[in-house]
Amino acid sequence: MRIEKCYFCSAPVYPGHGMAFVRNDCKVFQFCRSKCHKNFKKKRNPRKTRWTKAFRKASGKELTVDNSLEFEKRRNIPLKYNRELWSKTVEAMKKVEAIKQKRQSRFIVNRLKKGKELEKAADISEIKKNIHLIKAPHAGQAKQLEDKMVQKLAEDVEMDE
Amino acid sequence: MTLVWCVCSKQVSMALSLSGLILPKLTQQRAFSVSAAVAAIQKLTRVRVVDNSSLGNAHHHRPPKVIHVYTKNGVGKVGDRVLLAIKGQKKKALIVGQKMPGARMTPRFDSNNVVLIEDNGNPTGTRIKAPIPTHLRKMEGEYSKLIAIAQRLV
Repeated sequence: MRIEKCYFCSAPVYPGHGMAFVRNDCKVFQFCRSKCHKNFKKKRNPRKTRWTKAFRKASGKELTVDNSLEFEKRRNIPLKYNRELWSKTVEAMKKVEAIKQKRQSRFIVNRLKKGKELEKAADISEIKKNIHLIKAPHAGQAKQLEDKMVQKLAEDVEMDE
Repeated sequence: MTLVWCVCSKQVSMALSLSGLILPKLTQQRAFSVSAAVAAIQKLTRVRVVDNSSLGNAHHHRPPKVIHVYTKNGVGKVGDRVLLAIKGQKKKALIVGQKMPGARMTPRFDSNNVVLIEDNGNPTGTRIKAPIPTHLRKMEGEYSKLIAIAQRLV
């Protein structure tokens, strides 16, 4: 029993789910649900279909090169059963999964940081352009004039002294 | 107005699908043909012989056709025996792959595959290169010799 990967969306296919298709060149395609199967029959390229993992990895939206992802690769060499190895592997799997999730989220957060800077710059420029909606053009002029007059009077008083 | 338009486009797409062509969305401009619903193997279906027997691989101007299906109803699924007409002679064969989707945990193949068989059930060829479904093992019947000469199991 093995948890396959859907050919189209790269989701895990558990036993009892999905469909398998064997092409005449002996290549086997597993699908997780009929959505993926139908898209495949429509000859859509998973690397161009935006909601698939293949697209996200190909366009750099998700973590592609990482040590924690090496554990997911398929090994075709069978190992002799060893109870210690088995239980240690299960524990290691949990830790590796936790590390992988953290690294993947960190990658996405770093990718989206640029967006925050751009957003801030856009907000500032928007306010500068539309400042007339917030503040009238002659809003502080009266106060400025008053301050100037007060300053001038103070200087005159000093000069007189 | 919009309701009428929706109905119209459905009829148009139905008409196109009946004629064998469905227009893809504007985002992916590739014309392709979509086949009608596939059925299981019955009389007069053309099949593909996948073993390395000389009779199966000899080129004839006509593809091998099923002329009799050895089941209670005339429908042949994977694991059923059929009678083929190849090169002007009658030969028994066993269905090892069908285009129609079958039981849930069984694969669907791209063509209706068949392996030539003698009257006693022994395969005629010595090797089968095409993938053979593994659920043949559990099926009732003698498929062990077929599985033994199969090179790839799916």
